[in-house]
Amino acid sequence: MYQKIIKRSLSNMRDSYLIYILACSFAIGVFGILLSMGDNPSLHYALRWWDTLIDDITAMMSGLFALCAFVYMIYVGGFFIKQQRNEFLTFEKLGMQRWVIVAIGFIQTVIVQAIAWIIGLIFMFVFQKFMGMLLFYLMQVRLNFEMYIGLQNIGQLFTLFIGSTLILSVINAVKTMRILQKKKRKNSVKTRWRLKIPAGVFGIVLLLTAQVCTLCLFKDMHTVSYSSRPMMEIGYIMGADILGTYLVYYGFLPSVLNIMEKIHSVAYSGINIFSFKYMKERLFQNISILWFVTELSALALALLTFCYFGYQAVHQNYNSAYPFELAANEDTVKVIREELKKNDAKVKGTYKTAVKINLVSYYSKSSQSYIRQPMTFMSYSAYKSLPKRMRKGNSNINSHQFLKIDYKSSVMYGNQEKEHDIEVKNAPMIQSAKVGYSFPYGSSMHFGPMMIVPNKYYQSMPAEVKDTFYGWDFKKGDRLSHSQLQKLNSYRDAYYMKVDFKSSLSRSSIKVMKKEPNKYAASTYTQAGFLRQGSLKKHFKQGGGFYLFIVALYSVALLIALGSVLTLRILLRDDYQSNQLRTLQKIGVEETEVKKIIIRENTLTFLIPIVFALIQSFAAIAMFDFGRHISKNIILIYGGYIVLYALFGLISYKVSWRGVKQKFNL
Amino acid sequence: MQIAVKNISKDFGKKRSTVHAIKDISLKVEHGEFMGIMGPSGAGKTTLLNMISTNERPDHGQVIIDGLDITQMHDREQAKYRRNKMGFIYQSFELLDSLNVKENVILPLALNRSNKKLIEERFNYMMQLLNIEKLSKRAIDELSLGQRQIVAAARALINSPEILFADEPTGSLDSKSATILLNYMQMINKKEKTTILMATHDAFTASYCSRVVFIKDGVVFSEIVNPGNRDKFFEQIINMQRTIGGGDYFNVSKNY
Ligand SMILES: Nc1ncnc2c1ncn2[C@@H]1O[C@H](COP(=O)(O)OP(=O)(O)OP(=O)(O)O)[C@@H](O)[C@H]1O
Ligand SMILES: [Mg+2]
Repeated sequence: MYQKIIKRSLSNMRDSYLIYILACSFAIGVFGILLSMGDNPSLHYALRWWDTLIDDITAMMSGLFALCAFVYMIYVGGFFIKQQRNEFLTFEKLGMQRWVIVAIGFIQTVIVQAIAWIIGLIFMFVFQKFMGMLLFYLMQVRLNFEMYIGLQNIGQLFTLFIGSTLILSVINAVKTMRILQKKKRKNSVKTRWRLKIPAGVFGIVLLLTAQVCTLCLFKDMHTVSYSSRPMMEIGYIMGADILGTYLVYYGFLPSVLNIMEKIHSVAYSGINIFSFKYMKERLFQNISILWFVTELSALALALLTFCYFGYQAVHQNYNSAYPFELAANEDTVKVIREELKKNDAKVKGTYKTAVKINLVSYYSKSSQSYIRQPMTFMSYSAYKSLPKRMRKGNSNINSHQFLKIDYKSSVMYGNQEKEHDIEVKNAPMIQSAKVGYSFPYGSSMHFGPMMIVPNKYYQSMPAEVKDTFYGWDFKKGDRLSHSQLQKLNSYRDAYYMKVDFKSSLSRSSIKVMKKEPNKYAASTYTQAGFLRQGSLKKHFKQGGGFYLFIVALYSVALLIALGSVLTLRILLRDDYQSNQLRTLQKIGVEETEVKKIIIRENTLTFLIPIVFALIQSFAAIAMFDFGRHISKNIILIYGGYIVLYALFGLISYKVSWRGVKQKFNL
Repeated sequence: MQIAVKNISKDFGKKRSTVHAIKDISLKVEHGEFMGIMGPSGAGKTTLLNMISTNERPDHGQVIIDGLDITQMHDREQAKYRRNKMGFIYQSFELLDSLNVKENVILPLALNRSNKKLIEERFNYMMQLLNIEKLSKRAIDELSLGQRQIVAAARALINSPEILFADEPTGSLDSKSATILLNYMQMINKKEKTTILMATHDAFTASYCSRVVFIKDGVVFSEIVNPGNRDKFFEQIINMQRTIGGGDYFNVSKNY
């Protein structure tokens, strides 16, 4: 008998359960994959350089993921109990004992959770390999990803299954109990207009000011390192967005619908007379869920933005630091050439550039102090003859202009200002120089900033030290073996420069030493002998790939969770709501019109959160995009998110229409 | 409107537990006729009305209204037909809970996008006529069953349908309200030549009809035509009910 009851209620809500179970299984599967990756030998092998990090990252990520998934399950699992309210109350009226009904709620949850776990674990076994290959692909590692699930992981998963299922079932049982205790249901929503309208208006004001503030943030963000204003603005925007959205949902949406309803010429024509009320009722029920989804979508978008710009910044920084796969200087070029010949490296291109090192002094705006240091000079024509990619992060100059290439003061905030009045030892002062961040031959190849100067200036300037830089590009890497590298290790430092600063530049001088000085004095600089940037590039790609993988996984999971919450809210109509649709059909409303109501409901439910989320995530762009135009890639990322989200809307519409139609044909 | 029902049948349920709700029924309803359908519970009255009113499709047979075979129409056309020509008083009322009384009543007019003045006019007229003006702002779930029934009747009659389907329209009404409603139905039947099909258990209600068809177990059992005298007709109906009842229920009442 009870078996029958459980079976029936499971099959009654099978569409909704299907979506819920799939979402849960996805979460469980992803969790299992993350967990087992921590112990995966081939991942450890591929990521040797990041070895200690893997365990920590996967443990942290899977932990965080599990927590979110659990909250989701508690929250959404409760929908199903609520949905069966009437049934439970009828059971009680029919004389079923309370504990039996509570047990039904409990057992249902156990069954659903068990199914979700079984599917999730299957998903994990099937897709572990696939996910691993995807990860390796993103990391650009050519290795086979071996399937591996440790015994310890199986134990962990099992205890988690038992634990979480128990907790969820108890929670649902308690929810069932609560339903039985308070039987009254608030059917007609009391609307306190005196409260709602001001609240809605205030919400709109908050949202508008947040937008204005965002525009300011676009302008102010670059001052973040020395002004507290941007942080205050960010704080305000977040607060105003979150609160404002809720107030608008709470006060404004119902008011708009109500006003539309009051305009009889609109409301009394056609199906509107019903659909406005219906929509209002549905929206009322879902206000907090819409809000929740909006804020989380905004969070997801902000996260994506953050990750994108973070990745960009690191990538750029990396690009400016490592332009050639292999670079050398005068002292080491011979040895390196010999070693390269030995192992038949396929050289794609070789470059060489003469440089002069001289002493400079100037007032730096970014650090707000006087600086004296050696600087590497390169002529304009030499600079122009290097591959284009070397100049990507730099301002364009013509043959009469100066360009100072320096480290970025911060990874995120580039300030494209000019430098002025740079004194050069025994050479004319440089009045103004443009600024860039891409070092030809890499920033670690030599000490300090670099200056590109007009050819004439270069030829006539004196040099404390003269040198020539060499760079190679290869097809498929430099192929230097481990033993070769060990041999080359002793050439890592070419020479050392000890600077003797005196009161004026012209009296200061640089002393070149071949031997490493005993003490690292503040004024001693090292000239690198060679730089093997190709392998660093590899490490970077691997780290970046891992990072992209995690971010992508998280955003997809978040999207699935949010989408399924909305879909379930739409699917789980109260009985009387779907009866109303049936009634409409009986009195002669065409199917297409009922369909229209369902479409409208779906569009509204999905559109409102995404629109508000997009408005809010605008601030995230402002935070990271520093007053530049909104880049194409970020639009693409957002577009992708919206497309996936819309896909959920479409599925939700299809399923919900199917459900209604089934009821019609009873 | 003239309705011709030809050999329709309808089964419910799957193989083993099939219910033959309607076995083989043929009927003819003339234009402007007020026809009653009587029979014990589960006889198939509601099912028959649903099939004639295009709410359900028969498994076999045809329903021809004014020469048009409506069973061959698409769902969409059926819905349009239903909306424009038919009015319904359902046994279970089928009122929309989220709308108030007024909105429920004017729904058929609003669906046809009638102009606002006409809507107000017809609404006030109906409310006055059925004596329920004071209900117009109330919510449906605050109404008694009888009040709901009369609101459902107002909704069915507001757009002066050409065919009115009434399934137990007086089942929950007190005799005064029932008399008002029946008189009105009779009036529109006489004046506007509205064709009315009404299913009922109640002999008094049925005595307003011009003809009553008795069905039992999904087939037509017999039929009585109103001889022009309501009391006599009432008597005949009671007698027929006794015959159909097979002596069980009605014999008990006779023995008292
Ligand atoms: N949707 C349905 N599914 C299954 N069986 C049904 C369905 N609707 C009606 N029936 C069955 O068809 C038969 C006729 O039902 P119907 O509702 O037409 O009876 P009725 O004459 O209107 O009875 P009442 O006087 O109680 O209203 C009954 O046996 C009923 O159980
Ligand atoms: Mg019936």
